Amino acid sequence: MTDVAVAGNRTAWRGRLGTEPVAARPSVDARRALQLVLAAIWLLDGVLQYQGFMFTKGFSQMLGGTADGNPAVIAKPITWDATLIDHHMVLFNAIFATIQLLLGLGIAFRPTLRVALAASVLWSIGVWWFGEGLGGVLNGGASPLNGAPGAVILYALLAVLLWPADREVPAPFVAARAVGAHVARALWAVLWLSLAYFALTPDNRTPQGLNGMIAGMESGEPVWLQDLQKAAASLVANQGLATSVVLAVALALIGLGVYLPARIAKATLVLAIVVAAFIWVFAQALGGILAGGATDVNSGPLLALLALAYWPPRTVPVTPTGPVVSEGSVASEGSEGGTR
Amino acid sequence: MTPAWILDIFAAIMLVVAAVSAARLVAARPWQPGAIITDTDISHLLMGIAMAGMLASSLTTLPNGAWAVVFGVLTVWFGYRVLRDYRASGARALAVGHCAPHLVHSAAMLYMFLAITGPVASGGASMSGMNGMSGMTGMSTLNYPTLAFLFALVLAGYAIWDLDLLSSLRRGFAVAVAGPASAAVRLLALDPMRATGVLARLAAEIDQIAARGAESADRPLGDLPCASAPALDLLAETHIRAEVRLFES
Repeated sequence: MTDVAVAGNRTAWRGRLGTEPVAARPSVDARRALQLVLAAIWLLDGVLQYQGFMFTKGFSQMLGGTADGNPAVIAKPITWDATLIDHHMVLFNAIFATIQLLLGLGIAFRPTLRVALAASVLWSIGVWWFGEGLGGVLNGGASPLNGAPGAVILYALLAVLLWPADREVPAPFVAARAVGAHVARALWAVLWLSLAYFALTPDNRTPQGLNGMIAGMESGEPVWLQDLQKAAASLVANQGLATSVVLAVALALIGLGVYLPARIAKATLVLAIVVAAFIWVFAQALGGILAGGATDVNSGPLLALLALAYWPPRTVPVTPTGPVVSEGSVASEGSEGGTR
Repeated sequence: MTPAWILDIFAAIMLVVAAVSAARLVAARPWQPGAIITDTDISHLLMGIAMAGMLASSLTTLPNGAWAVVFGVLTVWFGYRVLRDYRASGARALAVGHCAPHLVHSAAMLYMFLAITGPVASGGASMSGMNGMSGMTGMSTLNYPTLAFLFALVLAGYAIWDLDLLSSLRRGFAVAVAGPASAAVRLLALDPMRATGVLARLAAEIDQIAARGAESADRPLGDLPCASAPALDLLAETHIRAEVRLFES
């Protein structure tokens, strides 16, 4: 106890110039590391929500625009919500930004982890409907390249998969710990197969569909990013169908990869991360953050984070006195340790 | 454009940070020989004042150029500290030491004062978008928005990392106190309420021990007290040789 207290105080309160040693940090297990990445993304989203643009009518118009093409039962509440926000722009946006900041900080602060994750699920579902129009899933505008099935719903999925519970011990991957391997694999397959489906919808397989989508993201971006996007757009110009088919095959392979033998499954996870990175850089322009007006990082980083949650852990060596857990899962989750 | 009252709230938070840092510097009594002054407190004080001026024009204290020099010096200083930590502890220093985050903080401040274009003082700046920080009041913009994005990413990561570390230390502290009580209840079948009551009554002594330990932390290594519990060490020696172990941790 004293050691911990001293170590904590030395760094923060008593650091003599140039003399204090580097304090040791408790090891972080894989699930906690992924939770922290999720927290950082929420924090970044909160900061983005404080941008000047979000306090203008452009934000409410952006929300209202997501109602287009959706069934009336979905669209009417979106329109009502956008109108309400339009009338109380500053207040609502300040609340939205603060909520997202608190979600990030709450996930990072261990005593509030569960509350923050649960709140993030509810918040994500609300934003998915009222802020993203269900990600364009019902209006035919969804594409893996533009963030389908809605970036924010991926936050909810991650919160569920990274929930601090252990239904299955030992788990074959982090995402299986909270919900079990069967459910986790099914969720993965549903997500990526749905992305494969969206890649083949009529709007996306037109000759210039993908080209237009990528070119539409160039506005306001730094020159180096515009150059990358122009190159990507020219690459898929008039190749909409072929590109969509290739993309759909890759996405389907990723979706089914978790059911394949471990070595192939790992390869498909690497493919998932590469595809997510390509989508984020070339099609989503880093979520449009550098152009201003972005409310989140879009789906690319979240898909990559999701893939990491399915990465098989390192082999756990077994010693005569018991298993040596290399990732320190028990300690980092705050357990009191075993008594037998 | 970000409303002024939100910028004022953030400016007030920055001033609170500056005030706390100033109080800690004063409490360290720097005018006395052998006083300990922390560079982090100095940097927090300066950052708090500078940020408050960026957010609210009425709180502007120095021209941008002067602040750029100040944070340039701080950047060089923390860069030197990181280098020293790296030589002493290797790459681990970058992950767990406090100098690397302060190096990034100082560099971010330097970047902001160098990259900003337009009149900050005419209305303060907002936590605006990266595209030239177009939401800044007074029409201020930031050059090299990609760099701003990278700074934002790293600083958000550090904030999350620190908060996790803080809460894990708090938990570690609680577990260390609760552990003996739990063991006493489980193995010796003591009354849980009475065991917890004993711990509660020991709270003052525990605080004193922690305070004494903290005081010792600044002494040279050879002068550190070596108070210990020999009986516990002997028990551990015996236990590790036992055929049947009751605990495993």
